[in-house]
Amino acid sequence: MKRIVGLVLIVFLAGCSSSASVKISTVFPSVVSESKPINASILIEDSFATYVGAPNKNTKIDIGAGQINLLKSAFSGLFETVDFITSLDQISPETDLIITPSVLEVQVSTPSENYLNVFEVWIKYNLEIKAADGTPITNWFMPAYGKTPDSFMASKENAIEQATVIALRDAGAKLMLDFYRIPAINDWLSRQNIKQESR
Amino acid sequence: MKIRTLNFQLGLVLIILSGCSATTTIDEYRPTDQPIFLNSDEKVVILGRRDAGHYETDREFIECVGKKVTSGEVKVLPEQQFIDAIYPWFEPRTAPKGLPRLKRLMQQRSIKAKVDALSIRYLVWLDGSTETTGQGGSMSCAIGPGGGGCLGFAQWDKLSVYEATVWDLEELVEKGRLRVDSEGTSYLIGAVAPIPLLTPVKNDACNSLGNQLKSFFSVE
Repeated sequence: MKRIVGLVLIVFLAGCSSSASVKISTVFPSVVSESKPINASILIEDSFATYVGAPNKNTKIDIGAGQINLLKSAFSGLFETVDFITSLDQISPETDLIITPSVLEVQVSTPSENYLNVFEVWIKYNLEIKAADGTPITNWFMPAYGKTPDSFMASKENAIEQATVIALRDAGAKLMLDFYRIPAINDWLSRQNIKQESR
Repeated sequence: MKIRTLNFQLGLVLIILSGCSATTTIDEYRPTDQPIFLNSDEKVVILGRRDAGHYETDREFIECVGKKVTSGEVKVLPEQQFIDAIYPWFEPRTAPKGLPRLKRLMQQRSIKAKVDALSIRYLVWLDGSTETTGQGGSMSCAIGPGGGGCLGFAQWDKLSVYEATVWDLEELVEKGRLRVDSEGTSYLIGAVAPIPLLTPVKNDACNSLGNQLKSFFSVE
């Protein structure tokens, strides 16, 4: 009997623990989009593929696999041909753009910090965008945000996982919505059109 | 004497239970009295607004309204299935807030093709939340070696306000609006054991909104 009571207590106390370790391996839906006739190479560095965010000492969020799934879907909606490469020597001669994504920071806010009944996650991305010859076009800062509907009866791990998945979906939405609105990309695109017309 | 006591107790229970019913008001706006027609292949999708910072229309409520509308002949596509199928154009960041933006979205061939493939004719936006507006009373509970119990009385008011907007994805016009306000007070009586007398405010709002929305549509 004492053992059962002890076990129940441990289970309850484990539920109250303030640490959370989350791994995101969600498969994201394919994007609905009309891609532009551009060949892009996405350079996935090892640090990006295995990225684990540590917003505080008690929380770890492994978003490496999840964000690659997401970017594969999102970039295929932006460009006609997309190659995911792990080093620059894999770039094909037809490539027009080289994009290197990286995570700048992951932040988490819990109900005890924000005094709201929600968990929030911010992921700050940077996309280093270069032309095929290596000329820098721009560095695009891309923030993404996700929050849980509420925190009622949700464990900290589940809530952070849910908010992170929403933040990753938001990153895909931001990319699709704003990529071709980046002034430097717009300029680069118009120069490509001029080049193609003059050929 | 026994019958009189029984009547008194019954009356007391009725008074308490009547105190637990919600008051619900529905406002409806439609440009015409005609029902909104859809053929047997066409579907409706009900989506919750999630772009506001301080609240979001909860999925449970959307599912509840969806079930009410589906109980007729109208086919309702589950919310998440539609959002995933048309990703990323109905995420909180990208979802159209007005008809001009919807028109621009539907000009994209891939989006229009997806909506057509899903046979979605009408889109219903639900926007609102249920909030606790006032609380009163106090209750204290204690437990000891000889047993435990609660003593006191607590009450709280809940208010559900939801607005539904119906968009026609074929003609790209608004077909009507509905607004439901439902309010009620719940009680918790502590007489050794806590006795909850809950008013189903959100459920009432869902039933009223769902049934009214169902009456909007007519399957040809």
